[in-house]
Amino acid sequence: MLSKLNKFFSSVKLAIFLFIAIAAFSMVGTFINQGDTASQYRTIFGTQTYHVLYWLGFLNIYGSWYFIGLAALLVVNIVTASVNIFPRTLKAVFGPYPSFKEMMDKKSPKAVYEVVESTKNAGETKKVLNEKFGKPFSETETELYYSKNSIFRFSPYIAHLSIIIIIIGVILNVKYGFRSYANIKVGGKTDISYLTKNRKPLNLPFTIRLDDYRTKYYKDGIPKSYTSKISIIKNHVRVATKNIRVNHPFTYDGITIYQASYGHYKPTKVIVGLLVLNLKNRKFRKAIYADVGKLYDAGIDNIKFRFITHKKPKKGEIPFFIKLNNKHIINFHVLPYKNQSTPLVFAKYDNIVFIYSGVKQVKSYYYSGVEITKNSYTSVIWVGSIILIIGLFFSFFFNHREIWVNLTNSKDGKKIQAEILAVPKKKFESFYKDFYKKTAAIKKELH
Amino acid sequence: MISANASALDGSLYFAISLLLVILSFAGYFIFLLTGNKTVSKASFVVLIAAFLIQTFAFVIRWIDAYKIGIDTPPLVDLYDSMVFFAYVIILGFILIRIFYDFDILGFIITIVAALALAFASFSPLAPSAIEPTIPALQSYWLIYHIMTLFVSYGAFGASFGLGILYLIKSGKENKNGGGNKKRGGFVSLLPPSIIIEEAIYKVVVFGLVFLTVGILIGAAWADSAWGGYWSWDPKETWSLITWLTYILFIHARFIKGWGGKKMAWIAVIGFAVVIFCYLGVDLILPGLHSYATPGSTSIL
Repeated sequence: MLSKLNKFFSSVKLAIFLFIAIAAFSMVGTFINQGDTASQYRTIFGTQTYHVLYWLGFLNIYGSWYFIGLAALLVVNIVTASVNIFPRTLKAVFGPYPSFKEMMDKKSPKAVYEVVESTKNAGETKKVLNEKFGKPFSETETELYYSKNSIFRFSPYIAHLSIIIIIIGVILNVKYGFRSYANIKVGGKTDISYLTKNRKPLNLPFTIRLDDYRTKYYKDGIPKSYTSKISIIKNHVRVATKNIRVNHPFTYDGITIYQASYGHYKPTKVIVGLLVLNLKNRKFRKAIYADVGKLYDAGIDNIKFRFITHKKPKKGEIPFFIKLNNKHIINFHVLPYKNQSTPLVFAKYDNIVFIYSGVKQVKSYYYSGVEITKNSYTSVIWVGSIILIIGLFFSFFFNHREIWVNLTNSKDGKKIQAEILAVPKKKFESFYKDFYKKTAAIKKELH
Repeated sequence: MISANASALDGSLYFAISLLLVILSFAGYFIFLLTGNKTVSKASFVVLIAAFLIQTFAFVIRWIDAYKIGIDTPPLVDLYDSMVFFAYVIILGFILIRIFYDFDILGFIITIVAALALAFASFSPLAPSAIEPTIPALQSYWLIYHIMTLFVSYGAFGASFGLGILYLIKSGKENKNGGGNKKRGGFVSLLPPSIIIEEAIYKVVVFGLVFLTVGILIGAAWADSAWGGYWSWDPKETWSLITWLTYILFIHARFIKGWGGKKMAWIAVIGFAVVIFCYLGVDLILPGLHSYATPGSTSIL
């Protein structure tokens, strides 16, 4: 039972299945947009299809349980397969090496075998063989074992190990890092960003202020650069200011801020223009653009006020009023104004007069979209990547070459018979060509 | 009326000339295929080398032109660039293979692929040759390494595709003839034995796979240093992973009993279809390519 399980988990067939399955699910993810909102999906697919896709996990496929499960199975596959073959590899590299007879008995379909007759004595025969095959790895009276590049038998293990290192790096990165974004308007600041994966807000350990945003263009109107000037504010103190551009992010305190997008904010709310006058001091006048309901300083005698609208205004009544210092309510009055088509609408309290100068749309403004990322443990991924490249390189381009030679006396005892056996790792024509070329040369010299 | 990209200024004229030479070379290989005349194939090879040299010259012209108008990234950014570069790399790959192996007939397939790429670049309205200023996302030193390594791998996979087709033709005929060396059936007899093609497929694929791996990882490192994360599951990235898995499957499938040359040749053929989809299909079909932007705003990447 256990050995059957072991065989299943370590099989190449499982690996092939996993490659196909991972590729297939990845493909699905490229045809269905990932990470959109539920309402976006409903408009694209309709509610029913949306529910089916959601149930299948196709809307967040790379985070779905089965996708992660396939990756986990791949790790199990790599580990069990490696553990199973490793003893064999150790033996091939460090010995004890298989004897000529053992190899002959194996009858490998890849094996090549040649017999060379030598008129020279054993010592000289060996010398000729060594010239062609290199220094023997091990040698007895009648047997020679040549082995070249045996150390590279480890390279596939290194390549597979690197995959596990990369996966570990990814897991650590997902667990301890985050990817988020924030749209900051020019002059504005934020200490909250939104996670890319689920749009949940995240408190940043500092405040980011966008001092300026600029798009530069080439002569023909193609954008040349997008630059945001950002300041990092910590405990009300500006600790850093930096221009960020695409390809040129800024890292502070382990958190990297990238220029990702820009946009145009088109508002839906209105603001109210108010002119504040001081009747005592005629020179005082202050224009305030007020958001409805927000507290403002009138600038006179520390008076603060809000502009508030009536929820259900009565007919003929002015639908808004002013609340002073959260206590007094003062209503607006209408005064027909000479020579003007619009009347003067004002509210008065003591020596303060508020003159209503109309509603206006909030100006649209530009904002800069930044990615705010904590890339923890990416170094693990890069180490894994470098090992992967090295592992692949040596796996593909350096082959272990082994040759066994068995020396026997021919029947009449005058000649020495050298049986040469080679078993390549890969059944390649070039290997056999090379083998026959060498044995032909040996034949010639020993004749 | 289709207007061809043929301006001496941006180098496209020279690419168009090289297209004519590649077609000429293709015609030569076609004649070779019918007649088996070695002189013709040698002449075709020389013409192809000439085409390659003209392309090299064209690239230099194009780069100088880009530099003159104040663009400091190499001309490897738009569809036109990438199509001609693909043709360039695949021809280079064939020239290298041809030097080491007696593989004249591969030239027939390579010249088709290269001619198609060059023709697409020269005539498709989707690929204007005018050098456009580089958008900010691509203004990086990573660009050249990222694209070069990937195109070397694409070229290798293109060659393995050609070899795969030759293998399937050859092994089919060998089986019919009972593995005998009967000199029948015109060009099939010109092919090297299938066992040699099989080895060549493997070698070309692993070469491509190493470069593909390096290219993807450079891309990840670039994305990490510039765009906010090493991997975003964007369609291009995902398809590069699918391509990688296809060739990784090729490497592993050899260890399954009974998966001989024929299945491997099929994987090499299918693998190249995946490469083509990753390279062109994603750009032309799948939306949201390399759009790393935050939701609801203008993407600038």
